Amino acid sequence: MSKRMNWGAAVIAAGTLALTAGTAGAQDKELVFGLQCDRTGATQTVGVFLCPGYHDYINLVNSKGGVEGYKIKVIEIDNEYKVPPAMEAHERFKKEGAVLQGVYGTPQIAALTKKLEEDKILGTSPGFGNSASTDGKRYPYVFPLAASYWSQAAAAVTFAKKELGGDLKGKKIAYLYFDNPAGKDPLPILEDLSKSEGFELKTFAVPSPGVEMGAQALDITGRFKPDFVIAHLFGRAPSVSIKELKGKGYPMNKVISLVWGASEADIKAAGGFEVANGYHTLQFAGVGTDFQVIKDINAMYQAQGKPAPKEQETSVFYNRGLVIAALHVEAARNAIKAKGGAKPNSEDVKNGMEAIKGFTLGGMVPPMEVTREDHEGGGWVQVWTVKDGKLVKDGEWFQAHRDVIKKHLQAIN
Amino acid sequence: MWDEIQFGFALAVSGLSIGLMYSLIALGFVLVYKATDAINFAQGEFVMLAGFVAALVLAVKGMPVIGAVVAALAVMILFSFGLERVVLRPLLGRPVVAVIMATIGLGAILRGLPPITVGGETRALSLPIGDTPISIWTASLPPIQILGVIVTLTFLGLFTWFFLKSRMGVAMRAVADNQQVAMAMGINVERYFALAWAMAGTVSALGGVIWGSMLGVDVHLALVGLKVFPVVILGGLDSVLGAVIGGLIIGLVESLAAGYLDPYVGGGTKDFAPYVVMIIALMFKPYGMFGTHRIERV
Amino acid sequence: MLHRESGVFKTSYAADMALYPLPIARWTVAAIIVLLAVVLPLSLHEYYLSILNLSLIAVVGALGLNILVGYTGQISVGHAAFMSVGAYTAANLAVHLHLPFWVTLPAGGLMAAFIGALVGIPSLRIKGLYLAIATLAGQLIIEWIINHTPAISGGAQASIEVPRPTLWGYQLKTQGQLYYFLLFFAVLATLATLNIVRSRIGRAFVAIRDQDIAAEIIGINIFRYKLLSFAISSFYAGVCGVLYTYYFGIANYEAFQIGVSIDYLAMIIIGGLGSVLGSIFGAIFVTMLPIAIRLVMEPLAGMFFSSGELSSIVASTRLVLFGCLIIFFLVVEPEGLNRLWRNIRNYFRVWPFSY
Repeated sequence: MSKRMNWGAAVIAAGTLALTAGTAGAQDKELVFGLQCDRTGATQTVGVFLCPGYHDYINLVNSKGGVEGYKIKVIEIDNEYKVPPAMEAHERFKKEGAVLQGVYGTPQIAALTKKLEEDKILGTSPGFGNSASTDGKRYPYVFPLAASYWSQAAAAVTFAKKELGGDLKGKKIAYLYFDNPAGKDPLPILEDLSKSEGFELKTFAVPSPGVEMGAQALDITGRFKPDFVIAHLFGRAPSVSIKELKGKGYPMNKVISLVWGASEADIKAAGGFEVANGYHTLQFAGVGTDFQVIKDINAMYQAQGKPAPKEQETSVFYNRGLVIAALHVEAARNAIKAKGGAKPNSEDVKNGMEAIKGFTLGGMVPPMEVTREDHEGGGWVQVWTVKDGKLVKDGEWFQAHRDVIKKHLQAIN
Repeated sequence: MWDEIQFGFALAVSGLSIGLMYSLIALGFVLVYKATDAINFAQGEFVMLAGFVAALVLAVKGMPVIGAVVAALAVMILFSFGLERVVLRPLLGRPVVAVIMATIGLGAILRGLPPITVGGETRALSLPIGDTPISIWTASLPPIQILGVIVTLTFLGLFTWFFLKSRMGVAMRAVADNQQVAMAMGINVERYFALAWAMAGTVSALGGVIWGSMLGVDVHLALVGLKVFPVVILGGLDSVLGAVIGGLIIGLVESLAAGYLDPYVGGGTKDFAPYVVMIIALMFKPYGMFGTHRIERV
Repeated sequence: MLHRESGVFKTSYAADMALYPLPIARWTVAAIIVLLAVVLPLSLHEYYLSILNLSLIAVVGALGLNILVGYTGQISVGHAAFMSVGAYTAANLAVHLHLPFWVTLPAGGLMAAFIGALVGIPSLRIKGLYLAIATLAGQLIIEWIINHTPAISGGAQASIEVPRPTLWGYQLKTQGQLYYFLLFFAVLATLATLNIVRSRIGRAFVAIRDQDIAAEIIGINIFRYKLLSFAISSFYAGVCGVLYTYYFGIANYEAFQIGVSIDYLAMIIIGGLGSVLGSIFGAIFVTMLPIAIRLVMEPLAGMFFSSGELSSIVASTRLVLFGCLIIFFLVVEPEGLNRLWRNIRNYFRVWPFSY
């Protein structure tokens, strides 16, 4: 009994020591960024590649003297794709004086929307979250920063239209999605477009986590027999969907996936690039390693005597991390410049974020423009298709149906 | 009309085959419960572990598939032995919730280990059986599922014979029935516990190889473990036949629900329809279809 | 030294059955109340208060689950679903009917209690793991219904924004204010539980847990009490869900999925089944554990790894440590933190004259 108490006392002492040691606040020429990540939860297959990309970009910026002379300190907290840890992470970031926060996960940004506004710290939700938060007037502290699900869905329809010969009248499109808020988000846009473009839309819900969807695949390929499939899955499900659809004989080049079912990892897990040949994916960041910024990062690693990080192989998610970090840094840069070099607070950084324009990072970032009203930046996407063993660019950056999206935004807000 | 029948048939076949794949995992659960009364909430993580071992071994250049399978078997059997000695022995006789919680904790450990040790990305487990689906009339099954069906049915036959006819099987049933009396009869209870876990390990190993090949190996492979529960509850926690029949029914219900109910209610019924069927069955047979009725003495 | 019972004599049944019959117990409780109500909120930084707030909400939920699992012996894996029932009930009432929190809170609880009693009906036939999985079915069905009924969920996003609770025109927003709000309900829940388990109902529950056939024979209506147990436990869960809603400012069913149910089960098992203090210990322990592990690991591991690798390692190690600690507690002390606490307390009962 007393031995146990000794151990207990030792643990408590060590803990207290660590607690007091670890709570250093931000120094003077230092900015604190908060990053939430899912490393152990339902979407860890994304987090383990995205967050290293984020860190790598920040390290690159720091190695070149920081942003306008300010070093950046990133605090990353794993939110396990659950809501209470996300809330606790937010409080921690607030305590450490973070000027902005990269949120991770649709339920998490939903839960934090109000808190972010109360605490006046901006949160970014690139490529996920509530599409309605594109409206910067209604949600001043939430920044989708990358094509929301509405924009992605509209872009998918536009791409399908192009692939099907320029006209969707009388055609059939299947929408394969998760039976949760993230999956259901694009439905209003799809239904609206089905009316205005004249195609028949049928929806096929897959309960999360979607490790098995034989019946839905059968329904799509056997009964509905659509001309195109728009898939909105993430986690384990995209690779399962590729296998299932292919297994039932559906041509891969008639499938387009929204941004989170679109990585090299998903394609590899489905059996490899040969199996998924023709599979189309929507991206909101450039794919592959043929960018200057990646060469710079690899040079940085080489200078430290380390090999290039293997997370770069899943460039889809890694590059997204880079892009998110780059946008965060640009917002900080705008804020510092607007303040004439003085240290910005979270409000300044929010204004800085709303001033991002014409920042493309060598083609990796779309030609987006963030304004006070449009926190999405325009909803630019690019299609990359699986061809000859890798992902190949299939067209330039494009926007789709902004008018329809604006109409829905006004209706909902 | 004919179209509908064709669709229904394809749906049914797809559901039945997936159901047998669930049974493969359920068998591991049932074996452990049947022999040792322990409820293994980490069955999915066992399958995941086996999948990882197989995928890692297979990635070694020039390794034949059989090598990966043998490696998975070896690791899982050793792991099960070790688990039984280290974690479950001390928990003998504790309330049921304690063992459940212990396996949940074990599951958490197993899920946390891959990202630290070998990296969290998904690995493919390619078996040399080809990808082109085999058609049975209008239904088409990928060869991997047919392999799974064969493996499951083989195990069914094997284990049924084992428990009914072989000496060791009867001894194991005796141990499950009443440990004290079995010990008094000269049966080495500890050895049979270890054997039961080893058998479960074997099943998990093959389940890991097959499911890993179907889904790709990463931490999420453990999620298949959740499918185990409706299957074993419906079939009866300690019945091998129940695991198979329960799996067939659950798979069929899932498939039919997704195909026929979903369009009317907007989707998602596939998740809970099997549970509804399960509850209805439980109201008539509270110990599952083939489970042994617990006789409670006051 | 800390003689507890010697020298204390009771002269009436009421005095003997009081909640804190010993003077030292009363002093201790008073001290704890001062600590919780005055010292902590004024001295702790907002961040630590926010962690405490999460623990307080968890306490309410854990108490409810312990009534069902610890005192009545029924296993339930559907606790989180009842929380979301309570959350959405309160959110809809608050947003559409503009009802204040002291109406929506009991309303959410009652709705959850009703649904809980429905889910508990199978418990009359089914026992053990079979019952646990039947409650899992309840969890999934409730989730599906909420997800697919826009009238309840408020649309595809399934999130309903709820204004913060207002007390006499004063809106509770900061962590400190919310702390008092939550503390009030946590204390209320604890007192209610302590009284329930001492009462006739509580004794019936324990009888059902220990030997339900014998209980039926001596005249306890098992049907009624099992359903009552599910209802009471779900009431607590509903209140817990409402508290989460007011704390986050938003109701979203994705915050109440099966992982949360398992978390609460972990809380009461680690804390100790069948004890109020155990529920409180367990709730605080499980809520704070991931945070504590991270706080300890960051500076320690920061010495060895760069920040990028660090986060991945910390996250996975946290999961491994969590599992290890659960198993450690179960192997070392299967009756939970409560038993550990009792051991310590019993040691001091006759200290230093333990011989």
